[in-house]
Amino acid sequence: MELNLSAVLDSWRFLLSGLGVTLLLAAGVTVLSMVAGTLLALGRLYGPRWLSAIIIFYIDSMRAIPVLVVLVWVYFALPIATGLNLPPFWSALLSLSAHLAAYVAEVVRAGIQSVRPGQVRAGMALGMSRSQILRKIVMPQAVVRMLPAFGSLLSLAVKDTAIATVIAVPELMRRADAVAGQTYAPVEVFTTVMILYFLVIFPLTRGIDMIYRRISFLGRS
Amino acid sequence: MTFDWAIIWQSMGALWQGALVTIALTVLTMLLSVPLGIVVALLRESSLKPVSALATAYVELMRNVPIILVVYWAFYVLPILTGIGFSPFLTGVVALVLNNTAYNSETFRSGIRSIRKGQTEAGLALGMSEGQAFRKIVLPQAWRRVLPILATTWVTLFKDTSLVSVIAVGDLAHTALQIRSQSFRVIEMLTAMAAIYWLLGYPQAKIVDWIHRKYGVTE
Amino acid sequence: MTDMPANLPKGSALPEVVIEYRDVRKQYGDFTALAGVNLEVRRGQVVCLIGPSGSGKSTLLRCTNGLETMTSGEVYFDGMPLSKDPRKTRLIRQRMGMVFQNFELFPHKTALGNIMMGPMTVLGLSEEKARARAEALLAKVGLSEKAGNYPANLSGGQQQRVAIARALAMEPEVMLFDEPTSALDPETIGEVLNVMKRLADDGMTMVVVTHEMTFARRVADHVVVFANGQIVEQGPPQQIFDAPETARTRDFLSHLGWDG
Repeated sequence: MELNLSAVLDSWRFLLSGLGVTLLLAAGVTVLSMVAGTLLALGRLYGPRWLSAIIIFYIDSMRAIPVLVVLVWVYFALPIATGLNLPPFWSALLSLSAHLAAYVAEVVRAGIQSVRPGQVRAGMALGMSRSQILRKIVMPQAVVRMLPAFGSLLSLAVKDTAIATVIAVPELMRRADAVAGQTYAPVEVFTTVMILYFLVIFPLTRGIDMIYRRISFLGRS
Repeated sequence: MTFDWAIIWQSMGALWQGALVTIALTVLTMLLSVPLGIVVALLRESSLKPVSALATAYVELMRNVPIILVVYWAFYVLPILTGIGFSPFLTGVVALVLNNTAYNSETFRSGIRSIRKGQTEAGLALGMSEGQAFRKIVLPQAWRRVLPILATTWVTLFKDTSLVSVIAVGDLAHTALQIRSQSFRVIEMLTAMAAIYWLLGYPQAKIVDWIHRKYGVTE
Repeated sequence: MTDMPANLPKGSALPEVVIEYRDVRKQYGDFTALAGVNLEVRRGQVVCLIGPSGSGKSTLLRCTNGLETMTSGEVYFDGMPLSKDPRKTRLIRQRMGMVFQNFELFPHKTALGNIMMGPMTVLGLSEEKARARAEALLAKVGLSEKAGNYPANLSGGQQQRVAIARALAMEPEVMLFDEPTSALDPETIGEVLNVMKRLADDGMTMVVVTHEMTFARRVADHVVVFANGQIVEQGPPQQIFDAPETARTRDFLSHLGWDG
């Protein structure tokens, strides 16, 4: 089996710009989903009953429906339903964030609930308000405990960007598909891209693992 | 804007077939990737360095690349590697098994490691062989830890099967998208697709929650 | 100088050596856990290993049944050296019973089930025979009414007594105890030590790593003092506790607040 590496090398700039879009999209999804997910978790834990119910329904629905389905629906169906026409990148940003936010919400909720109630009682005994307790005692510990799960969500954010290929977002997967089609060297191209994804995602999760190991004692009560 | 929701009713047969393919993909993949996951987990614990290194490399690769890429990759590489033409369905299964086995091996590894070394030692002290200690002491305790995680993996896999639609496997996603292209009933079909996945996936997620509550270990 | 087991009639010949440690050494990287230990354990003797934490007592015990491998040296059991062959090692382990500091009962089995595990799995006994043996041993440690309880529903002292019964179910020639009472509440220590004393009175050869000096004083035939991976002094309890010969021993005992 001969390897046609020139196919890959000739298009490296094209592929790399695709990688840039991947990273941009992943970063955007990460930020949006973390904000939205945290708000969802707080709303669920501390909000009124009806809000909790809606949030739980939303989270469970996002756990039940594949990302691909959400992505496709937001890109094709939402414009028809609402007249809102989003270009592929922004459509993907919206749908991927909306989906991941559900998972973030669950991680945040688990993190907050894992902090021992004794800690809250200690805060109350000192005369702190509920919001002070949340901000100064619970959240700092919860955030540390959530780190490992966040690591896997971060890698998921990057991996899910590849699905955006189906709505023609010019990210790495799409570029790979294009180059493979043009050069008739799919094995070389896809293998190279596989290694590229690995080189990006692996350090992300390992990095978070290392950070967690250094500071995990901060979350232990 | 008129919606013709009747199209959903008319396509019920095709959609139902698609759903069956989705379920078949999930079941088949799990049937293969659970035992294979145990094998890979044991390979990782092997005292032969090259064996455990290879197994670890495989697991880490699969955990750090998108599944859709593995699907594409399998589609192009398998025929070249084996000289046989694979059907899209089989290709999809191979890709999903490659991915799922890696995750399952992690599950089994952590499940086995979560059992204190002292338990194995107590068995060895009674004169049991390593194999006996593993089967009679570690495994019975480990499966309780493993079951909730496998349940979650099942639901994730169920959703991931939608990705094989890109190589024209006739699952639910592909079927719904096809009907959409042919009938131009975009919002109806896409909403139906989401709704059917929801109907199938929601109860599964709830069952997984129940399993976690029943068998979950609280630290 | 060897010390007669307390229950031998006066004037008997010395019982034979059951376990002999010859220049046993154990290295963990830079750390020397055992620095050349020579020791004899005779049949029917109760040998207590005492000394500060990290002095090597538990390591030596775990080398005895091969749970720990020595860096160099030999352990002879019944005249034969410990083997590297897994099958031979298993056979040797069947003849030794071990009791762990944190009991290590199998949580997925009842008390009775725990005791039956060894005879059924290793010795191949039938369920009825194993059950009969287990019930007798459970009675011996005074816990017949807890036969159907899972370890989660047993107190620490009860769990340890079941653990002793589990080891005895294999009808071992030697019993090894690795700090059997260190993880117990003070109130329950007594019930476990009582079982151990009765075992000693019945003539069991026992090697016990312990911090319970009163037990060692009263039940041991031979006391071995460890420090830094070596034996600093050994002898009958009267010598060790009442008239220690080395400063190291005196040091250790005084730190424990032991004044006889």
